[in-house]
Amino acid sequence: MKSLYLCLALTGISWAQTATTPPPAPATAPAGVPTTAEIYRSVVRIEVATQVPNYSAPWNAGRFSGGIGTGFLIGPNKFLTNAHVVSNGERFLITIYGSPEKHQAKVDFIAHDCDLAILSVEDFSPFEKLPVFSIGQAVPELESQVRVIGYPIGGERLSVTRGVVSRIDFQPYSHSRADSHLIVQIDAAINPGNSGGPVLQDNKVVGVAFQGLTEADNTGYIIPTPVVNRFLKDVEDGRYDEYTDLGVTEFPLINPAMRQALKLPNNGLGVLVTNVTPTSSCDGQIKPGDVLTGIDDHPIDANGSILIEGEKVNMHEIVERKFAGDTVKLRVLRGGEAMEIPVTLKTLPQSRMYAIRYEEKPRYVVFAGLVFQPLDTNLFATASFRDVTVRRLYSEYVSKGLFQEFEDIVILTDFLADDLNSSLPPYKGKVVKAINGTAVKSLDQAEQLLYPQSPPENFVIELMGVDRPLVLPASQIKAANDRVRKNYNIPRLSNLKAR
Amino acid sequence: MKPIYLLPLLLLVACQKPAPTPPPSSAAPAATAPETSAAAAVADANLSVVRINATLQNWNVAQPWEKNPPRRRRSLGALVGEREVITTAEMVADATFVELESTDGTRRTRAEVANVDYEANLALLELPEGDEAKTFFQNMKVLEIAPTPPLRETLEIIQVEDNGQSLVTAGQLLSADVRATFLPGQLFLTYRVKASMQSSASSFTVPVFNEGKLAGILSSYDSKDQISDVIATPLIARFLMESKKETYQGFPNLGVNINPTEDIHFRSYLKIPESEGGIYISKVRKGSAADTAKLQPGDVILAIDGNPIDRRGYYKDPIYGALPWVQLVRGNKSAGDAVTLSLWREGKAMEVPVTLTRQEESTRLVPNYQFGVAPNFLIKGGMIFQELTRPLLEAYGEDWESRAPLNFLDAMSNPEAYQERHDRMICLTGVIPTQATVGYEGLRNLMISRVNGKPVRDMKELIAAFGALPLSAKAHSIEFLDESLVIYLDEKMSDLIDENLLQRGLHQLSRSE
Repeated sequence: MKSLYLCLALTGISWAQTATTPPPAPATAPAGVPTTAEIYRSVVRIEVATQVPNYSAPWNAGRFSGGIGTGFLIGPNKFLTNAHVVSNGERFLITIYGSPEKHQAKVDFIAHDCDLAILSVEDFSPFEKLPVFSIGQAVPELESQVRVIGYPIGGERLSVTRGVVSRIDFQPYSHSRADSHLIVQIDAAINPGNSGGPVLQDNKVVGVAFQGLTEADNTGYIIPTPVVNRFLKDVEDGRYDEYTDLGVTEFPLINPAMRQALKLPNNGLGVLVTNVTPTSSCDGQIKPGDVLTGIDDHPIDANGSILIEGEKVNMHEIVERKFAGDTVKLRVLRGGEAMEIPVTLKTLPQSRMYAIRYEEKPRYVVFAGLVFQPLDTNLFATASFRDVTVRRLYSEYVSKGLFQEFEDIVILTDFLADDLNSSLPPYKGKVVKAINGTAVKSLDQAEQLLYPQSPPENFVIELMGVDRPLVLPASQIKAANDRVRKNYNIPRLSNLKAR
Repeated sequence: MKPIYLLPLLLLVACQKPAPTPPPSSAAPAATAPETSAAAAVADANLSVVRINATLQNWNVAQPWEKNPPRRRRSLGALVGEREVITTAEMVADATFVELESTDGTRRTRAEVANVDYEANLALLELPEGDEAKTFFQNMKVLEIAPTPPLRETLEIIQVEDNGQSLVTAGQLLSADVRATFLPGQLFLTYRVKASMQSSASSFTVPVFNEGKLAGILSSYDSKDQISDVIATPLIARFLMESKKETYQGFPNLGVNINPTEDIHFRSYLKIPESEGGIYISKVRKGSAADTAKLQPGDVILAIDGNPIDRRGYYKDPIYGALPWVQLVRGNKSAGDAVTLSLWREGKAMEVPVTLTRQEESTRLVPNYQFGVAPNFLIKGGMIFQELTRPLLEAYGEDWESRAPLNFLDAMSNPEAYQERHDRMICLTGVIPTQATVGYEGLRNLMISRVNGKPVRDMKELIAAFGALPLSAKAHSIEFLDESLVIYLDEKMSDLIDENLLQRGLHQLSRSE
């Protein structure tokens, strides 16, 4: 499923200088409502130079690359675009339509979970006269027509396409691989480079173009205004706080025998809670076995849907539009008793385990040629782990609350061959259980155990699912590290900080 | 790796056709052919081999109440007793019908599988005592088992052409090693023989001779490298010997996982003397011979019956040179035999006698194979319950080890965590959409912990639990392992559905054997 989505930033370096014609004379228009030509000038081309870290050689600087995307002016020195356009970016240049000049910019806010970002330029004066896009409130209606403006592949200049709103749904956002929000599907061709461009109805923004399907033609996806507005409101306090989550897993209550057994009326309402993530918003308030029948003032149907503005949407849409610290009222049936439980929403940072991370330097420890890395989705995507224990700990890390015990799941990811380790059996891709008898709970701790003040005679490393320890004599570690550092060009034997 | 595998069906038709028409009058040119040594070998071979026609039909893993379409295999078997023919286990695994046919195609008779060892990949077919057997084996010669052939010996691979003529291909015995010829992980002494063979009828497996005596059974042939895998002489001899015993016990196991000790740091950590080799015991299987003899993880085996084991686990075989240690246990011993292990435990050498046993595959939580046995299952109201086996996991495709559900794979790789409460893992493998399973259509790949409040150890207990609904309850409750989800199945409705499914063509709704 996930692989179907394609982020639309135009990747690959395109340093070719554009021979641009002078901009057309601005047409005069009544004050307030900008003309189409003026609007074009507020859709900017964003050129990004990126540095993408290498999780299979975490000590390396990574790959230097770049891409092109679109952005648009939404306020004084505020350009809205997609997070994936500027992710891992090191240099950002903004170009006005029809102008050869490139303006240095920086990222002010970036929200990887909803794929949005705000940029500002060093010197805003050339942009001051440009019209500012206003962002609507409502989701565009089905079958209504929209225009997409951007700088997609196929030419250097601005491109406009038209399409019809063909579906409104709750769907995955491919940028982070871990998040789903409201999405609007349109039948206009959205192509690489369109990313971050405005989607307009009556010259008002109704969404941001952001992803397409690789297996279907004429399907484009846009981030609709509720998601955009939530992001803009979230950053008003100067930082982005991410989405909150109830932290519950539900099972639909459609089966009549099941409803009867749970003594539920035959009214088609309610979902069964089967799991509550430890430390999440609902932890301590909601229990497995509870039946959720309402959220705020919306009844929850047996499929977990609610009705908002005449549309059936997932019950989590209520939480989607709220912020950390807000309260949501859950109506619950517990042991036949109806009750209303207010839940204060909070973010669960550990749930980012399943999100691709950006703007981070990979963490690692190298020890006598053995490479240790903490498990996250970047690593998971790079190294294809077959080990059942690794995959199980990964999949249960959040739902079973394993993060309470393990800050990191430390994996022995590689053996860099050296005199000292060449006779070790190459147990790659296994979870480190203990070092010298101490259970390993984080990479920092592993590093302290591997490089202690007074080393033991032998380092004994135990791996999960491997019935024999790896043993290395302490007296030879330093020499091995020196060789490994030199032979494999590893400037630092560890990096414990992601940022 | 069986390129000749597809031919038999075609050739069956070809050799059946001429049967009705009588052969031309000059039908015996073979008899008048000049008598050479090759011809003698041909004549001899023909006297001791028969064609085996087997119809195989295994069970459909996804729909365990029915069988897959039947397949046919033809091979050549060797006469090793008055009424006994030896072939591979693979040839008769899940066989519904096995027939012997004389090489000239004139006589056919149904045979019984007298004994089969899927692990060693050997099977013994038998005709019942009586006239039928006498007639069939008339003028045939029982083969002797050859002495164990040394390396570089020339062996003869026996094939029979459609017209009944033997085809003898000489090949050199290149090497001997323990290999799996049928089931993965079942390692037994196997020869590599270099010979350029041609495709021929009845070639799924064929006998291999050495100077007119049975020296092996060819189990596969790689036409590109012209290398064939041949089940070794001592293995065949031992199988036949064991088959003569009242109860066949099969090839014993020690019941340990071992690791090599080439790693110098590990050796000095274990303080193994430099003069020794040794293999490290990393796991002792519960109830195994090693467990009974109180072997411990961490012990190092230095020698078996005085044969020193090197750091990689090899010993020196007097005939074949370096062979893996398992040969000293599985290859050279019978169940009930004793071996003496020289151990290195906690820095000290010691001798431990071990009485070898064989653990039945069926004692495993997740059996690696199941032949000749129909898979257990239960359908209740449309929900399909099955026992977890490796064939079930393999149904997830070639890369099942990464595609099969994680909880299933976990039960297979860490059975200790489940064995206290389960003899078999009962899984909900799918749901037939019925009125009783409305809302449950998406449930699958879950393991069952309780039904109607009763814990379930195996399929029998599952079926019993569904039969023991408390009087007050109107619906069956089903609980899953690792999920705090209880689902309910209406009793009356599911009974109705069950009846309906029987009418829809399911022969049976449960099996537990």
